[in-house]
Amino acid sequence: MLVNRQVAIIGGGPAGLTAAIEAAKVGAQVLIIDENARPGGQLFKQIHKFFGSKAHNAGVRGMDIGLNLLKETEESGAETWLNSTVIGLYEGNRLSVVRTMEDGSKKIHTVQAEKILIATGSQENTINFDGWTIPGVMGAGCAQTMINVNRVMPGTKALMVGSGNVGLMVSYQMLQAGIDVLGVVEAAPKISGYNVHAAKICRAGVPFYLRHTIIHAEADESGTLCRATIAALDEKWNPSPNTEQSFDVNLVCIAAGLRPLAKLAQMYGVEHGFIPELGGWMPLHDENMETNIQGIYVAGDTAGVEEANTAMDEGRLAGISIAQSLQLLPDQEAEQCKAEIRARLESLRLGPFGERRLQAKNRIVKKEVQL
Amino acid sequence: MKGTILENGYPSIEELKNAHRFPSEERFQKGPVAVIECLQPIPCNPCENACRFGAILVGEPIINLPELQEEKCTGCGMCVASCSGLAIFIVDKTYSATEATISFPYEYLPLPVKGQAIKAVNRAGEVVCDGTVTRVMNVKQNDHTPVVTIAIPKEFSDDVRSMQRLNVAPAEKDHECCADYTYDPADPDDLIVCRCEEVTVGDIRKAIAEGADTITGVKRRTRAGMGLCQGRTCSKTVSKMIADAKHLSGDKIPLDTARPPVKPVPFSVLAGDEDI
Repeated sequence: MLVNRQVAIIGGGPAGLTAAIEAAKVGAQVLIIDENARPGGQLFKQIHKFFGSKAHNAGVRGMDIGLNLLKETEESGAETWLNSTVIGLYEGNRLSVVRTMEDGSKKIHTVQAEKILIATGSQENTINFDGWTIPGVMGAGCAQTMINVNRVMPGTKALMVGSGNVGLMVSYQMLQAGIDVLGVVEAAPKISGYNVHAAKICRAGVPFYLRHTIIHAEADESGTLCRATIAALDEKWNPSPNTEQSFDVNLVCIAAGLRPLAKLAQMYGVEHGFIPELGGWMPLHDENMETNIQGIYVAGDTAGVEEANTAMDEGRLAGISIAQSLQLLPDQEAEQCKAEIRARLESLRLGPFGERRLQAKNRIVKKEVQL
Repeated sequence: MKGTILENGYPSIEELKNAHRFPSEERFQKGPVAVIECLQPIPCNPCENACRFGAILVGEPIINLPELQEEKCTGCGMCVASCSGLAIFIVDKTYSATEATISFPYEYLPLPVKGQAIKAVNRAGEVVCDGTVTRVMNVKQNDHTPVVTIAIPKEFSDDVRSMQRLNVAPAEKDHECCADYTYDPADPDDLIVCRCEEVTVGDIRKAIAEGADTITGVKRRTRAGMGLCQGRTCSKTVSKMIADAKHLSGDKIPLDTARPPVKPVPFSVLAGDEDI
């Protein structure tokens, strides 16, 4: 079946939803396609209060921001297909979608849209060590989904590998769920996430193992994880002999960063650049979040891994740009809105934690990325 | 970096004082006051709006550290639950002749109750003294960030910042099924890299030795990245192995080919499409 829409948005997370709201509220015919049972992306597992300013809903929990976005999306008139997966993007702005119908059956639909936003988010990185495939070793984001969305305890005693904000936040949320976190392991000589997050888990008595890495995980007779071993790193970042420490844990979480998920953009020929600050290979975009292919936009983690606040503003930027190019918004009004959003985005990228991302984004927009 | 927040995870009193994060001793002697233990310029300002007395200033740019105007602070505690970083505490050194109270955000269940005896902990989570809960504030406005106040001996009032959690399970007996592991520096060739297709380090090394210098080249020779997850798990590892073997930087290893379907689709669904 061929379905025509003005705007198709792939991924109903913070970027996709905000874009849908901005475009639909000025009259664009918007279809959001999301492979989950509920839109909101990763927002519903963010049970903590967000940073930022009032305009960014600072102090509001991510899950509540998600609820507000769902309400706004509904009010905007945007249409949503859930449990539906885009499997390909073809010439003529055609999307191939495995759509779940009301009766639960799956049908292939082709969606053709004038404008397409790819907001498919990012993918957790893995670390390969002896035993990393044992059940009980998982991505930190995966454990967070189990606890906060599915309400399933992934373990009772855990070790966290990685001290970025994801590692710190998920450690805290595991403690809240009643999981004993025996330590946070970090290869670098310093904790890489926000100190306020680190301080929270310090007060709960969680130790940090800096300049250490995980080297081994072991399963018991039932095949599930029962022990993990870490070792100190030498100056060449290799594990040093006789520094092993073992922990009796049934959960190891890996928080080793994320990288953009952009296969759909890649298959459509969108220009990519290698931007280490934003997760490596990613689709490049202009200051309107449009790629080198006219009508194809990216936003959120797909357009470089950052966080939910920046994703929401990038989504708004993309939604307004799309509405403007469909001539649903007068240029002057659109430009003014976009300028405000860009200023907000810049303020979110200030300071030592954001400045490398800010510089990288500036390089991308100014087309200074070497291809 | 030694001994700083970046290593310890928590600030030392010296770091806090040097960054003007500690109210003056005179102010402490006048009654309850907020201690804002926020030391890094991050984009955040809810505390500024939370204070009804205008005692907290962040201003522009938003990464400014919050500045407490201690003469304006009444120690009311409205800022404590508003801090997304849970980094604000109310310290009252005038509670009694021998005791001080500390109010802190406490997002763990079960909550303590008024009058309960608890173990007070410092910034590192170490128990430093016994304490008694004097108040548990969990109003709607706090949005599920209860603020617990405990009374402790005055001499610990600069150190105590929380209480030992009540949901800590008793320590279990150490595991006996497996012995301590000793690291073997030789990277085992049978370590799995692509778990969907069970491709090992050895398989990939062999492919690289045979001339594969892209993810796609490794994929063609080993099937790494051709399974259920379509390389979302292993492609970065494969890319790093090639980069290491060929002494190349990450940007010199192109992405693997993107082709539909990006997610696995049952044949029944494909076959069921009337358009095909």
